Amino acid sequence: MGSTAKTSRLGTRMMPYVAILQHDLRTLWSSRLVRLWLVAAGLLTLMLVGANWSQFQDAPLIASLLFPYLVFPWFFVVVVLGVSPVSGSRAEALADGILSRPVSRCEYLLATWSARVVLVLSVYLVVIVPAIALVALAKRPVPKDTVTIYGIVTALGVVGLVLTFLVSLGFLVGTLLRKPLLAVVVLIFVWYPISLILSVFSLEEFSPISLSRAMSTQLRQSWLQADVDSKISANAQDMDAFTRQMSNFFSVLSGVPSKAKASKPDFFEGEKFDDFSLVRVTLGYGLPTLVTVILATLCFYWRDL
Amino acid sequence: MWLIVGEEYRMEPAIRTEHLTKIYGQQLIAVNDMNLEVPRDSVFGLLGPNGAGKTTTLRLLLGLQRPTAGRAEVFGKPCGPNTVGVRSQIGYLPTNPKFPGNLRPIEYLDLLGKLSRLPRQVRKPRISALLRAVGLLGATDQRIQTFSTGMCTRLGIAASLVADPALLLWDEPTAGLDPSARRFTLDLIRELGKTKTVVVATHILSDTDQICDHVGVMHEGRMIFTGSMQDMKRRLSRDDFTLELQGAAEDIKALAQQATNLEGIDAWVRAGRALLVRIADGRSRSGALGDVLKLIDASNLSLQAIHSGQNATENAYLQLLQEDEAHGFHR
Repeated sequence: MGSTAKTSRLGTRMMPYVAILQHDLRTLWSSRLVRLWLVAAGLLTLMLVGANWSQFQDAPLIASLLFPYLVFPWFFVVVVLGVSPVSGSRAEALADGILSRPVSRCEYLLATWSARVVLVLSVYLVVIVPAIALVALAKRPVPKDTVTIYGIVTALGVVGLVLTFLVSLGFLVGTLLRKPLLAVVVLIFVWYPISLILSVFSLEEFSPISLSRAMSTQLRQSWLQADVDSKISANAQDMDAFTRQMSNFFSVLSGVPSKAKASKPDFFEGEKFDDFSLVRVTLGYGLPTLVTVILATLCFYWRDL
Repeated sequence: MWLIVGEEYRMEPAIRTEHLTKIYGQQLIAVNDMNLEVPRDSVFGLLGPNGAGKTTTLRLLLGLQRPTAGRAEVFGKPCGPNTVGVRSQIGYLPTNPKFPGNLRPIEYLDLLGKLSRLPRQVRKPRISALLRAVGLLGATDQRIQTFSTGMCTRLGIAASLVADPALLLWDEPTAGLDPSARRFTLDLIRELGKTKTVVVATHILSDTDQICDHVGVMHEGRMIFTGSMQDMKRRLSRDDFTLELQGAAEDIKALAQQATNLEGIDAWVRAGRALLVRIADGRSRSGALGDVLKLIDASNLSLQAIHSGQNATENAYLQLLQEDEAHGFHR
């Protein structure tokens, strides 16, 4: 009885969030951009699979299917979807209609952000999962590969995390600049040379190109191998490397030389990408995602509508 | 104790602002040191020319904008961006409301009902009743993007009433409406004013005349008058007559001079051919008018028309604006 009442109270409390989420998902789904993206992503995936059917092994072929989401062209669509909800005069007028109701700005922002993340990840998974299943299960005239379920799940997770970060980045820049076109232009100018920017901070590991190149290795990674590695010292090393990277990042930002010289990760040596670390990548994209959402919320909270 | 609390609650104004100020980007003063009290269960007309700060005031009350200085309260609770409790008591109708065009009216009102955390068993019958009340029952299968201006305003009215709020803030509710839709809206405001506090921001003075019992006049961000409609009209009680004359401009000026020389009468020319006659307190209106008419009879002028009290609100409003302009630095 008590738990039913608690559930009901929670349901009532969450009602505006769920309503905005549903409304935004519906609006986004009815937009031409999303439908075109879905069709174009499906066609491109089909073309890539068809063109490389008898040339690539499973891992490089799946990695090539993930490449458009990390680098080009879907980055552009994801950013546009992230930018639009809280910028532009019409969007603001519609937001007025919602924010003049008993809804907090935080609820509104989180609901619209969630709707975009859910939509982007849905389109991505709807297209990519059947394609991966086809590549992995079909008999193809190429040598057998050692792609694992664990590898596929983690690779999909990493790309999903990058997409979530891109939506959040678009969201933040859209909130700050209030003009969708300007926000998109700024993001393009920031994201395309991202590898260069990250190399300044010795964070090449997180660049979309590096992630894309590491995908083949990650796809062949087995759960047991990852488990054994983690039991030995991987986590400690990961955290150490992550700390060094962060320290280097802030020292470059502040102009003060870091105490310990940041060494280039083994990741880049020999082009084997064996040093790809899920923990570091998750932290490297997860934390900035959280920061961008928090900053967007603060920015939206303080601004006039 | 209960009685005292109840009395205090009853006496608490629906809206109170203290030194409320809004400055945009250190450049434009939209609302300037506004002190305002709107009594409960009144129909309050917020008057002012375009750009006077009416819409900004409403948006400050809703928490859509932050005040640069001062404070605003609704039913004793401070307004702000996250004051959900305050907004749950307000129904807002913006000027030319924008709606998500892909929705149908029931879907849109249902969304707003959910935003107000109304349970389904309350939401559904209320939406149905509101659609019937605003005359949109026949348009429930149409998407909002196909609606005319009048239908959009009706939907906006229904939207502002979904949560059954105690305070309604309606910004230019009759803008762009045809005569029948305008009549419907004014009748509705009058009806709603019996049980709710209604604030109507407008510059259509004839609307105010018909529905409001209290008014506030804004000019260049400042509240230059607040009070009852009677108070406002009383300000004009001396400006009793406007006489439309035909004849030479010099003769009309001379007549104005002669009339001003009469006891308890002040007269001046307005718009070239109209003589505005102000009668001082204590002077008989009929006697004063008779004296002025005698002067006209003795002159080369002919009388075309006499207006008295028909546009009292408009004249009082214009007079307030002129006085405010004339105060110059003292403002």
